[in-house]
Amino acid sequence: MSIVCTDLAKVYEGGKSGWPALRGLSFEIRRGEFVAVTGPSGCGKSTLLNILGLLDEPTGGVYSLNGRDAGAMSDSERSALRLGEIGFVFQAFHLLNRLSALDNVCLPLLYAGEYGAGMRHRASELLRKVGLHGKERKTPLELSGGERQRVAIARALANSPKIILADEPTGNLDSVSSGEIMEMLRQLNSEGITVVMVTHDLGLAGRAGRNIRIRDGRIEP
Amino acid sequence: MRELFNAARTGFAEIWAHKMRSALSFLAIAAGSMVFIDAFSAIVNTYSQLEQQKAVSGLARLKVTNNRSLSLSNTDGYQMPPVIDYEEVAALRRQFPDLYMVSPEAQDWREVLQYDGRNVVTSVTGVTPDWTKRDFIYKLRGRFINKYDMDHKLRVCVIVRKAPPPPSNDYFKQRRKEWNFTASFDELAAHNDLLDKTVKIGRVTFTVIGVLDALPYSERPENLLGYSNDYQVLAPVTTMYSYNMLGPYDSLEVNVDTGNEATFDETVRKIRNFFKVRFGSEDAFVIENQMGLIRERMAESVRSSLATVSLGMLAFLAGGIGIMNVTLATVFARTKEIGVRRAIGASRRDIMLQFMVEAVMLGLIGGVIGSVLGWLWDVPIKVILGMGAAKISAWIPLVSVLIAAFTAFVFAIYPAWVAAGLKPADALRAE
Repeated sequence: MSIVCTDLAKVYEGGKSGWPALRGLSFEIRRGEFVAVTGPSGCGKSTLLNILGLLDEPTGGVYSLNGRDAGAMSDSERSALRLGEIGFVFQAFHLLNRLSALDNVCLPLLYAGEYGAGMRHRASELLRKVGLHGKERKTPLELSGGERQRVAIARALANSPKIILADEPTGNLDSVSSGEIMEMLRQLNSEGITVVMVTHDLGLAGRAGRNIRIRDGRIEP
Repeated sequence: MRELFNAARTGFAEIWAHKMRSALSFLAIAAGSMVFIDAFSAIVNTYSQLEQQKAVSGLARLKVTNNRSLSLSNTDGYQMPPVIDYEEVAALRRQFPDLYMVSPEAQDWREVLQYDGRNVVTSVTGVTPDWTKRDFIYKLRGRFINKYDMDHKLRVCVIVRKAPPPPSNDYFKQRRKEWNFTASFDELAAHNDLLDKTVKIGRVTFTVIGVLDALPYSERPENLLGYSNDYQVLAPVTTMYSYNMLGPYDSLEVNVDTGNEATFDETVRKIRNFFKVRFGSEDAFVIENQMGLIRERMAESVRSSLATVSLGMLAFLAGGIGIMNVTLATVFARTKEIGVRRAIGASRRDIMLQFMVEAVMLGLIGGVIGSVLGWLWDVPIKVILGMGAAKISAWIPLVSVLIAAFTAFVFAIYPAWVAAGLKPADALRAE
């Protein structure tokens, strides 16, 4: 999966002429890369990630995912790509607190049409992989921040995505957990998954393969 | 199918997590369902009454009486209005042998019956063998009056024993007690086996050839015409004329069952013509179209039930709006969850399905609860209140649950559409 952005712009509605978040970004992320997007808060990092993850649409420019213009995709195509090709990891975890860790990981599998024992087996395998063996029945509220983020990573991996988009994945975590999560992302990258991580922690960014620095909606040279 | 199942599971968890809110939202639907069941069972009851009436006696009935309000008197003196006597009835029978029933009757309201040294007041009704083709609600011991008794004007009679009166309120009990001038006769008939005994009615001695035991009210079919005579002693109408228990001024009331609903109107016309020719004028007699009365009563009861049904529909509407409201509230309360689900790959369809299924489940639960309440009201509570259990066929609660679910479905479309239309990025940002 390669990501190519040309002159990408995003203007949020509001005020007289709107509020520009991205003012023309052009870059390319090749398959298997580990890219950190850095910049001060409010510079448009999360907006960029939402567009890359097909959660939001740019107001200008072209974003092509794997050679396909994202602007030309229908909503159901975008949903299908999110389901099968892209995994999200958020700063606030965004787990469903009503459900157990296992059920949270099962959710994307359900939407992919899996069911029954096979689905649960796959989900518990993923939880084991992120080191949460034995905590399948716990709800997110009963887990620590680091553990929650691991559940989120397991959920992101559920349908074997080609890209992981992480939005400040360590923002709510202490330094030990941050290190573990970062290591996990590097591990996934080494397995061939493209990882795009947004962060304002320059130390973490330094451990990524490449940095894209953004300031005021533009890429810093 | 699996998607539906998953949505149902999520929906059930959500309903369970918000028990109070859910209960309030399906309350109105339940009320609608309950009213619907009550009204429809009333309609079904009306039609089953009709079936009973058909089974007991035909619907194609009419009643001929003389016109009591007709005044032929003038300054020269009083002139009696014409009466329908037995000769007229016999002629009617001869003219229309195909009629299923021609049952004339006339009542001698007040006679003294002597038996075993006791005198009780009774009424004697002159009838013909056709009388048993009316709404026959008796068990007969001995035999009924037959043609031989009629032709030979024999002094035979049939005694009627009353069934215990139906439960009713104190007012009616009081009235019944006050006005029942034959109470001592009823007691005599109840406590003495009069079959094959002789009794003296007025100055005439009769032999009791049969005893009719009235069925208890619970076993009787409902009388759609809404009235029935009270009988104590039945005797051949010819005998009664012969022994002056009925005078020449006593007119017979003739109940006719034409036996065929299809040709009813035609038969009524013929019978009207028949009497018109006999009496020379249409003013002398009155034909009561009982089939028309039955139809009117049916239509009336169906109309009032339909009014109740429309109340039920209003309740369904209110319930639907309640469900729409609660579903919208749920959508806004769970905007973030919608965002999360979209982010991990749920399509618009998945989101829409989830909220639709949840709302339809609310409707279904409301419908089922309403059906249970409706049954409780229509069967045990009505029995406790002394109104008699309503009949509820299986399809009525089924239909009411379906309507509840359908209402919920229709009213959930908009909220579910709102939920599905949320932009994933915006939904994720929601707090």
